[in-house]
Parts: sequence; C-alpha cells; structure tokens
Amino acid sequence: MNAVDKGANLIVPGMPTPVSIDEQVAKLKKTLLKDIQRSAYVYRVDCGGCNGCEIEIFSSITPVFDAERFGIKVVASPRHADILLFTGAVTRAMRMPALRAYAAAPDPKIVVSYGACGCGGGIFHDLYCVWGGTDKIVPVDVYIPGCPPTPYATIYGFAVALGLLDQKLKGTHLIQGEDDRVIPAFPNIPLDVRVMVEREARRMAGYLQGRQIAEKFLGLFDLKSPGEASAQLTQYLHEEADPRLSEIVMRLLEVTKAALA
Amino acid sequence: MLKLLKTIFKAGEATTQYPFAPAEVSPGFRGKPELDGLRCIACGACTMACPANALSMETDLDAGTRTWQLFLGRCIFCARCEEVCPTHALVLTSDFELSVANKEDLYQRATFKLQNCVECGKPFAPAKEVEYAMALLVQAGNTPEAVEASRAHYQTCPACKRKQNLNHPSQPEMGRYINQEVHK
Repeated sequence: MNAVDKGANLIVPGMPTPVSIDEQVAKLKKTLLKDIQRSAYVYRVDCGGCNGCEIEIFSSITPVFDAERFGIKVVASPRHADILLFTGAVTRAMRMPALRAYAAAPDPKIVVSYGACGCGGGIFHDLYCVWGGTDKIVPVDVYIPGCPPTPYATIYGFAVALGLLDQKLKGTHLIQGEDDRVIPAFPNIPLDVRVMVEREARRMAGYLQGRQIAEKFLGLFDLKSPGEASAQLTQYLHEEADPRLSEIVMRLLEVTKAALA
Repeated sequence: MLKLLKTIFKAGEATTQYPFAPAEVSPGFRGKPELDGLRCIACGACTMACPANALSMETDLDAGTRTWQLFLGRCIFCARCEEVCPTHALVLTSDFELSVANKEDLYQRATFKLQNCVECGKPFAPAKEVEYAMALLVQAGNTPEAVEASRAHYQTCPACKRKQNLNHPSQPEMGRYINQEVHK
C-alpha cells in the first residue's frame, strides 16, 4: 500500500479529474479517427450552453449545408453514437448527465468539444458553477472553436474529426525582431486632426464601422490638396452609393477642412 | 408529377459545395483574429477589452519580455480587440477553419521586449510602445531633434522621474499639462 503514489488518484476538491481511457480503446479510437469508412452518428450533449451552438448544429444538417452528405446523422440516444458533441461550459448541474452520456456511448467514441464554451469555458470560464471546458471532464479529440461555430466551421470540424480534411491552424509564437518599430499611420495629417476625425466618425457610425470609415477617409485625404481629396471622395461615395456613408464622409470632410484652415 | 419535377429543376441545387469548394463568407464576417507582430506595440489595450479573457499578456520582468497570448478556444469573435487597437495591428480575418485536434494549436503567442529604465535599469514599458509615443510626439508637431534630445527622459521609469523631480526642483519635467501656459 505504501508503494502507491498517494497523489495519483487523489480527487482534489474543486478540480475535476478527466475520465481516462484504456490502451485497447485508445488503439481502436486511433483507427476510427484516421478513417471511419462508414456513417458517423452524432449525439449532442448539452453541458449547460446557451443553445446558440445547438441552433448552429441543426442548421448544419439542413439541406443548405447538409452534413448528411458525409453520413453524419444526429441521433437521439448516446447508445447509437460514434461522435459525442459536447457543447456548453460544463456547469456543475450538467456534469453528471454529461458523464452518464459519455459512459453510455459505446467504445470507441470520438469526443468533439464544440464552441468557445466547450473548448475553454468561453465567456463563462471563471464562473463559480462552471468547470470550464469539456476537456476538464472527458478526453477530447477535436476542438471546434467559435461562438457559435458557423455551419461551415461545423462541417470543417466534422471533416477533421473523421480524417477527411487536415487541420489548418497551427500554434504560433512570434518573437520581436531587433529593429522593429511602429510608424504612426498618416504622417502627413496632424495628430489632433486625425484624432478628431476618428472621434467624429466613431460618434456617427459606431466604434468598429466608425474606425473603418475614418481609416478610408484619411487614406483618401492624405497627401492631397483639399480640392483633389474632395474629387476622390466624391468618386468613392459614388461607387459605394450608400446615403448613410455619404452623410458621414461629407461631415468628416467638413470638420477636417475647418480644422486645417 | 411533371409540375413537381419542373418546380424541382427550377429551384436548382440549394446545398453548398463546401468542403469540396471554398466557402464564401459574407462581408464583415468576423473570423480568426490575426496579429501583425510588426505593428503591435504590446500596449495591452486588447487584453483589457477582451470580454472572454481570450487575450492575455504576461510580463516577465527577469527576462525583460512581455508575451501576448490569444487562446482561440475561448475567443467569442466580438472584434472588440480590433476596435481598441491603436495601431491597427489586430484584425479579424474571414478565416473560419479553426478546428484542431491538439489544444496547443489554439494558442497564438507573441513576445515583445521591454524598455529598461536608463536610471535604475529595471524594465517599465514595452520598448516599441516608448518608440511609438516618441513618434506620435513628432507627428503632434514637435521637431524630431527635440524629441530625440529628450530620449533619456522618455526612457526613464515613472519612479525615477519622480526622484529626479525631487532632486532637481528647479527643472521639473512634470508633463505637458503643468508646463503649458494656461489660457483662460
């Protein structure tokens, strides 16, 4: 008894121990992941999600995206399933039902962690009643991030799980070079004018669109005489043909001219 | 029967060709956030804005580095990081093919160097951020020579600046608000 490492099987309060799989099952699973060669039945396990993921799963089996082309079928019982799709951040209440669904599915089974909550807890990762991700309770084979993943992302995730497509995303680590230096954008426009244009655009069009409009506007205004800039902007507005955009850009032109005069 | 067939042929095929053909996403689609390491000044604005804490920054004072990290598994693609980025270094691309088999591949990292204080030698801010602030001062109307002349001042940490001001009260460098003449 003394030879056994006491820490190995110790259940730490508040820290879940993921279910482990034995060697034989792991071997079978490897072949299943590599090439399934038959239809894959999917059982959807909701571990306390917001239902956004469920809606996207069901829209990916509609005729428009049609995951059933690849033999992927959503079934109603974990006993029929090859793939278990865990959505949600694993709340305290849904942990046991999730483990029961996992135990009910026949071996070998592929576990897919679906959505931001499933992959890493998402926006709920530090809540008091949340375990924070599927991999805290069961071993996960494929992660499909997204909040929620679009039907395209879902199909791609299934294709990765079934070995039809290869994983594209790789972990990266950039290291800063010796002489990296950031040059401020639009060096010919005075800083206060640039700030004023950005603020005005954001006030009128909202944060993200305002910034995009300000960037486009400053790009067209840069380095040019006011007359030339007006001509270019008029042409741009004519191409876009959006009265809301025209309104904002004309206002920006007005305030910029006033500030530069 | 014929009428039904006619309707079917008229409707055409509704199913998308993906994954056998590339999928088209709508304009404004928010996909994977992509960091341009050359434009990033490691200011940390994105990490403050991120509601899901997918973005985080860790400062290693011993190594003099600051590491930016994006955990895509937690990202909710809200684009608030793109909104707040002062140098437009972080942009959401239309890339949606993010599924991975290995969780490590969901982490994107970038390491930046910290600026050591010229007085005490301790790191206090990212080197690129200090350089960018100096470039902005030039853009705001100061001459490049004047900004370059007080380089040592910008590369001093706040604690050392306070000490300097206490030791040399005749030449305080209190910042623009105090040195500026106040107009009523």
